[in-house]
Amino acid sequence: MDNVVELNNVTKQFKDFSVTDLNLQVKRGFVHGFIGANGAGKSTTIKMMMNLLKPDAGDVKVFGLDYKSHEKEIKERIGFVYDGNVFFEGMNLKDIKRIVAPAYKHWDDDVFKKYIDQFELPLNKSIKRFSKGMQMKASLAIALSHHAELIIMDEPTAGLDPIFRRELLELLQEIMIDGNRTIFFSTHITTDLDRIADYIAFINKGQLIFNKTIHEVSESYAIVKGRKELLDRDTEKAFVNIHQSSVGFEALTDDLAGAENTFGDSAVIERATLEDIMYYMKGGMQHV
Amino acid sequence: MFNLIRRDVILQKRLLMLFIPCLLFLIIMDANPAFIFLFASIYIPFNTYAYDEKTETNILLNSLPYTRNEIIASRYLGALVYMVLAVAITSLILLLFNRSFTIIDIALSIGLFLLFVAIALPLFYIFKPGYISPILMFSFIFLAIIGPRIVSFAADHLTVVTNFLINLSNPILYTGSALAALTVYGASWGFTTFVYKYKAL
Repeated sequence: MDNVVELNNVTKQFKDFSVTDLNLQVKRGFVHGFIGANGAGKSTTIKMMMNLLKPDAGDVKVFGLDYKSHEKEIKERIGFVYDGNVFFEGMNLKDIKRIVAPAYKHWDDDVFKKYIDQFELPLNKSIKRFSKGMQMKASLAIALSHHAELIIMDEPTAGLDPIFRRELLELLQEIMIDGNRTIFFSTHITTDLDRIADYIAFINKGQLIFNKTIHEVSESYAIVKGRKELLDRDTEKAFVNIHQSSVGFEALTDDLAGAENTFGDSAVIERATLEDIMYYMKGGMQHV
Repeated sequence: MFNLIRRDVILQKRLLMLFIPCLLFLIIMDANPAFIFLFASIYIPFNTYAYDEKTETNILLNSLPYTRNEIIASRYLGALVYMVLAVAITSLILLLFNRSFTIIDIALSIGLFLLFVAIALPLFYIFKPGYISPILMFSFIFLAIIGPRIVSFAADHLTVVTNFLINLSNPILYTGSALAALTVYGASWGFTTFVYKYKAL
């Protein structure tokens, strides 16, 4: 199984924030969800994948190539969708296409027309008068019209209504039928992922916590609820983070089997949702 | 690369429609031909820079299959292309309106244009977006008003320099200034390429 994107020991330092020693592989042919709280480092990571930011240390490889000598070849094969509108505001879609299309060797006008029809996008209306959903569709139509192998999206579902979010996810599924495609997208709406993601990468405070299949995640993470007496120095080791109240505790473990072993029937053990994991991790790793 | 230069025309369709009226206005106002040439040359590049200082534009261009060197090169080459076109169109209109102008007018405006671009362009990539366009617009108008006065003041008072320049033969003077302008332009190009290479977007 080959990797479309590889980040090796990547570090990027900012004044008040840093991404440290990031190792992340994106596998060909799968949908990867990239989750993390606001400010966890999702956009920074994506910008490094797109060579908009250069890492201070470590290397970034896309399609096995590095940006230093293969920047154009790499970007020919990437379709991108960003959170905000990056297209020239006052322009209409027809003119934006006129600017973007010639940049790509493999631009396909028929595919573009197909998506314009499917999304019911007006070609002559100024893009700043588009709704958020329409802007997203427009970016997507452009990203999908040059036979890109890798689609990178930064928060594509942010600010969209639930119905359109679902439509978008269906569309992503549709484009994955072509088995050579890979999608990598960041989101903080974790319910999006249950529907389509094969892999989940989770970043917290600039550090990658895990990059696993969605199956592995649900097999390893769990929420344990029980009485306070169950907690002692030994049992606490099983948890990533513990929330205590006057009567009991709720804690996240990354070792479901181990927790079942330790607590048996004395505690309630539930599958952890991605949101649970994000919520507990936000409190910081607490390996006692 | 050519696409990046052509992009400016698409971006500025509407502003271009104002191009001829602006020129006509200057002609009717009896402006100095050199100033008209200069204004015409700066018109398209300047408006593009106002677009390009926006972060979103830089994110878009850098996400497309272009290298950073190409993006900067397209700015510097594009300025030259549009300058040549602008000078041609302006000459034509001046001829149509029977207004006299000399090669010196054109040479002077080209020299000033190269200097202006060489100084202004790097600023767009060094400073934060939002400030530069108004500052440049203001200083351009300011210089256009004050500039000639400075030159005539200098001509009257710095006789050593003016004598030296007057004593140079015309070919030497022209090639000398052309070379100087191109050197400054090239240096500015190299500098901006360097700055942009390490810019975080």
